[in-house]
Amino acid sequence: MSAEETAREDPLLQALEGTAAVEEAPPRGPVRQLRIPMDELATSTRRLIDVGGHFAGVFRSESEDSLRALLALRGELIVLRTPLDGARSYPSLSRVTPAARLPERELHDVSGVVPLDHPQLDPALRPSADELERVVTGPETFVLPYGPIRSGVFEAIQFPIDTGGEDILAFTVRPYFKRRNLEARFQGLDFDHGTYLAERIAGTESVAQAIAFAQAVERVAGIEAPRLAQRWRVVHAELERIANHLDVGIKLAEDAALSVGVARLGVLKEQVMRLRARLCGNRFGRGVLMPGGVRREPLLSSAEVIQAIDSFEDDLRRDRSLLLATASFTDRLIGSGRLDAETVMRYGGVGPIARACSLGIDARLERPYGSYGRLGFRIARTTGGDAMARFEVRLEEIDQSVHVIRQALERLDGDMAALRIAITDASGEGCGWAEAPNGEVIYWIAIEDGRLREVHIVSPSLRNWPLLSESYRGDVLTDVSFIEHSFGLTPAGADR
Amino acid sequence: MLKWLFRGLRHGVVTTRYPARPEPAPPGFRGRIAVLGPGDAPQSLGDLCPTGAIQVEGGRVSVDRGLCVLCGACVANAPERFGFEAEYETAVRRRSSLVVGERLATALEGLRPTLGDRSRTLRRSIHIRHVDAGSDGAEEWEIQALTNPYYDMQRLGLFFTPTPRHADLLLVTGGVTNSMREPLLRAYEVMPEPKAVVAVGTDACSGGFSATTGEVVGGVDQVLPVDVYVPGSPPAPIAILHGLLLAAGVVTEEAAA
Amino acid sequence: MSVVLAVGYASLAAAVLAAVVSPRAAVYVTAAACGLVGAVGIASAAGYTHASFSIASWLGFGQTMLVSDGLAGIFLAATGVVGAAVSLALAQRSPTRLVGALHALILLAICAVIGSDQAFVFLLAWETITLSLYLLGSADRDRPDALVAGYFAGGVSKLGGGALLAAFGLLYAKTGSFEFAVWAHQAPNLGSVRDAAFFLFVVGFGSKLGLIPFQGPLPPLYAAAPGPSAATISLTFFAAFYGLWRLVFAILGAPPLWWGELLVAVGGVTALVGILYAVTEEEIKRFLGFSSVEHAGIATIGFGVALVGEAAHLPRLAAAGLLAATLQVLMHGAAKALALVAADRVQTATGQAEMRPLGGLGPRLPLTATGFGLAVVSLAALPPFGGFVSEWLMFMALLQAFRVNDTIAELVLALGGAALALTAGVALLAFAKLYGGIFLGHARERLGRRHMPTRLAPGFVALALIALVLGPIAPWEIRWLGHGLGGLLGSDVIAQAVTSPLVLGPVYHGFSVMSPTWLAAGLTTFALAAFVLVRALARPAVRRAPVWVSGTAVPVATVQYRPEAYSNPIRVVLSGLYRFKRTVEVREENGKEIRVARTRVVPVFEDYFYRPIAAGSVLIAGRLRRLQSGSLGMYLLYILAVLLAALALIPALGH
Repeated sequence: MSAEETAREDPLLQALEGTAAVEEAPPRGPVRQLRIPMDELATSTRRLIDVGGHFAGVFRSESEDSLRALLALRGELIVLRTPLDGARSYPSLSRVTPAARLPERELHDVSGVVPLDHPQLDPALRPSADELERVVTGPETFVLPYGPIRSGVFEAIQFPIDTGGEDILAFTVRPYFKRRNLEARFQGLDFDHGTYLAERIAGTESVAQAIAFAQAVERVAGIEAPRLAQRWRVVHAELERIANHLDVGIKLAEDAALSVGVARLGVLKEQVMRLRARLCGNRFGRGVLMPGGVRREPLLSSAEVIQAIDSFEDDLRRDRSLLLATASFTDRLIGSGRLDAETVMRYGGVGPIARACSLGIDARLERPYGSYGRLGFRIARTTGGDAMARFEVRLEEIDQSVHVIRQALERLDGDMAALRIAITDASGEGCGWAEAPNGEVIYWIAIEDGRLREVHIVSPSLRNWPLLSESYRGDVLTDVSFIEHSFGLTPAGADR
Repeated sequence: MLKWLFRGLRHGVVTTRYPARPEPAPPGFRGRIAVLGPGDAPQSLGDLCPTGAIQVEGGRVSVDRGLCVLCGACVANAPERFGFEAEYETAVRRRSSLVVGERLATALEGLRPTLGDRSRTLRRSIHIRHVDAGSDGAEEWEIQALTNPYYDMQRLGLFFTPTPRHADLLLVTGGVTNSMREPLLRAYEVMPEPKAVVAVGTDACSGGFSATTGEVVGGVDQVLPVDVYVPGSPPAPIAILHGLLLAAGVVTEEAAA
Repeated sequence: MSVVLAVGYASLAAAVLAAVVSPRAAVYVTAAACGLVGAVGIASAAGYTHASFSIASWLGFGQTMLVSDGLAGIFLAATGVVGAAVSLALAQRSPTRLVGALHALILLAICAVIGSDQAFVFLLAWETITLSLYLLGSADRDRPDALVAGYFAGGVSKLGGGALLAAFGLLYAKTGSFEFAVWAHQAPNLGSVRDAAFFLFVVGFGSKLGLIPFQGPLPPLYAAAPGPSAATISLTFFAAFYGLWRLVFAILGAPPLWWGELLVAVGGVTALVGILYAVTEEEIKRFLGFSSVEHAGIATIGFGVALVGEAAHLPRLAAAGLLAATLQVLMHGAAKALALVAADRVQTATGQAEMRPLGGLGPRLPLTATGFGLAVVSLAALPPFGGFVSEWLMFMALLQAFRVNDTIAELVLALGGAALALTAGVALLAFAKLYGGIFLGHARERLGRRHMPTRLAPGFVALALIALVLGPIAPWEIRWLGHGLGGLLGSDVIAQAVTSPLVLGPVYHGFSVMSPTWLAAGLTTFALAAFVLVRALARPAVRRAPVWVSGTAVPVATVQYRPEAYSNPIRVVLSGLYRFKRTVEVREENGKEIRVARTRVVPVFEDYFYRPIAAGSVLIAGRLRRLQSGSLGMYLLYILAVLLAALALIPALGH
């Protein structure tokens, strides 16, 4: 086939026909990088979104002074690179997609580059708790600052709620109270230390972040971790997913004042955490994996893990059916915080939130990584888009995770295969991703001389935060905690 | 509702008896780092640690557990010098007690009285207000775990309260970010006397990885007077419980191993 | 005593005239006169005396007397005591001549209504009240809605007056006399006229009380009345309730069951509607107006229970209902007058009639805050105050429904109890909103220093003291009421409500007991003991820290609850009743997106009841105006037509 015919067959190049987009370097697996001049960045992004692309994030790469916009399109991860060449502004992408608003504000705060025509370019990164802007004015309304310190053991984030007393007129999300700027901390670290840092960006998705980082390094180095290591990575990732979804269940049951439900789910989650501790010495799966494989042998045999999983599944099944039959619990969730698929697509939402609007977005199946391409499992999807749908998706994902863990452990080879491959030579840029419990997390890294030069993280929680504002249609103040907990996002992951 | 009742009763009691009975950590649990082996360490040993917790001076090694994120890089690369201890009770009352090894701290800072010393009733009932000053989210999970049936902190008289005005103890997680500095100070100011502060997690003790990024002020003791430090990344629920009871004056600190 | 009574009435009449010269002095005279009348009332209700004096027998309607017997004594006492205090409060505010005269006139008319023993004087005094309400409502020409308020109140009152006139006419036609005693004697023989008269009485008195569907004019009237004269207007409740007590219970007597059931139903709906509209009301005096509607409904429920008791031949039930209702009238009268005077003080101090811009006035207006607080706790029925005692007795009376052997009556009473419970709950919320919105929290807007009310306020302080003690002295009040109402019930059944010296129960024994006196004593003692203990045992150091607002330093005034926020949940839940809709409109201003919230509330009664009737009336009046063509010839033709008709009819009637 000639180059032109190839171009016509390729949906990406087809969408960008007529622009000055140039593909830099041959595609590395499912990652494709194109160079786009600045004046065509916005139009190219729009074209890709129009053909079904899912906007992930945009950041400025310091070492090369260029912008990178990431989109997911039909099983490929597209990186659009726009050289800035010292320019201090560029046409904003927020007019093309509202999913770019927060990333561009962050970009502006970090680098000073101005996205022109951005609808609200206020400083985002060091929010002050002393000021509060009212989104909706009016004689009968006032604003409730819900946060940054909220009543309960929660992470710090502020939700200014414009209300008349019970009805919600506007629900704003104000992240970045926990901004630690850990992306900059990656600079100069070797891969080992980089993994340790990646595990501590967002504690509740440690394994997923570590997997995304490790895969990014492996992709740059051009290697693949051994199968045994990949299977154990899957086991830890799925255990983490189960723990996260149980945590969402605990919080929802607590909101509904269902004490025994809270206790039962708490017991189940504790069993999972203790299993992880027995498996690797750390309750959060930290220190398990590294670029090239996993670090050590697991401390339990696969038979022991399967036994633990079996008893856990038994317990969970009964608790789950009781939970779904308790009207005082389900009544609070049904109809609350309804989202529709179109809004989710527009804001680039990912994870169980998107899957609850019947969108089939899951990185494990779109761009399979690790063992996921070889294991059989279903994407948990449902319609409805309300808090009940999101909870149901999470419950089904727990079932799928258990199924995946069993498959991964049952097919382990008898002989001791290698646990890791040494990485000798790595240089360049690359992307890695993983499906964290809240959605896809993407790592973009640049390596030089075996050390990390630059790391940027696209966090699923940050992508999903704007959806929380959009989900309050006709809900009242008493529904706030249900809707927020049904989202189950982590501010630490979003703020980095 | 009856089904929930039976469901709850069916599994019996799973609650730990800690602190009445010791609760051992599972084998292989990464509780804290201990310095093994003889002196005469090369200076390059300090480069093993991503947060700079290992200090070598004149061949003598010390590890600052307040900076240690329990990654295991030192154990993996120099197993004759460093090892993990499967230990839950890692909380201390002095920041200097977190520095272990052959290099000892120069001066011992004074001990603040525990809550139990200041008021007898506070030995049995403490209300805790948690503030997240910039953690990574893991410490919150472990603190929330304290209310599950395995740990059940309420049997020890520890309760969470939604408002700092009713709180005796401020539980802080995370190194203090710029934006959370003022809210944290306000929470402390609004608490009535006597009050105590417990820093949970390595980030709260020293800032951990984020200590040098410029967005984080540092550990909680840069902002507030801290009574108990609970290191760990994150510390296990029993470790946090140990720290709380230490602040209450119910348990005493073991000699730093 | 009769002399004292006569002097009192005469002084009131003199005060009306004196107001032309010096309104302030006239109001003081009114106060003194009210005191005299009140004293006579207390004495006659207690049974020590039966005062009366005759007036104007030359009017041609037979022997006309102003009497203070047991029942009238109760209401005269209430009017007198509260009226005296209100007069003192009014005198502080330098009333105009019109207001001073109308104040004395209203009080004179109320006392005349209560004291009259025959229908003509009753009606004359009643219509005087109507006229005064109209004049007082439209007195303050600076208010844009004053004329409407006056017309509305006057119009609806006139309607009621017309109903009363019709009732009196019917009874006169049947019995041939205007005297109440004659009517009482002939009551058993009246047949269907009794039912018609009852219905017309309810309409007539209900129009002044604000019973459904006449509740519309009351709130705007309270708001439009200048200064503390709204408190004077609230005293008209005594006259209206007296009318019900006297004409329906005492004179018509021997009611069928449906009278009581109708009143319980109407009372229940009125109470609910009153409080549901009060909780969403932002203007203070309108709020108090709706609260008056609510309490009128509650008292009507009690009266309905009394009628049911009479119909079912259960004298104890009748006593329980009548006691609860009378106590409710007295407690409410005192508390509402206090609340209205306090509201006027707030308005003077801040220049604001609405709750929304206020807040945090407690420290600035301590005396007003205390007095308003006493009124609020009594109106919200919190123990151990007066409103609680009367509402407790009301619930106890309703709970006796099981003693009535009629299913429908039991059902209606049960529903009335449910309505009362719901009303009580919403009332708590509403008064929390009122008091909190005005006096607690942080000031929402910077209000300039206006005319601060004087600390020397004998009327206000007197009202506050009355509201304070009315609850704890309930046992003595009930004994006193027992004497007064004994005439209606045949014997002093009500005294059985006081079981032990200081303990109350419903008239039935062994059902339930409560003691406001002990409660008051206990609460005070424990509060003092707690205070002393804390002072003695706790460390003396006090440290002040700022308000906790989720860790932010946002000014509290920005984020604290507005008064509307208290009523917001009810509005959202009952959005059907309120037709409540909130929309956010998005505008572009200076390139930025501005969002403004718009609230739409449809006042259901105004739009679907009053306006169509008013429009219809105007339409009919317009049509009728064509009769007044202005042509002399047409008028002569009218006279001829009427003459011919009369000539034709009279012989026909003669046969």
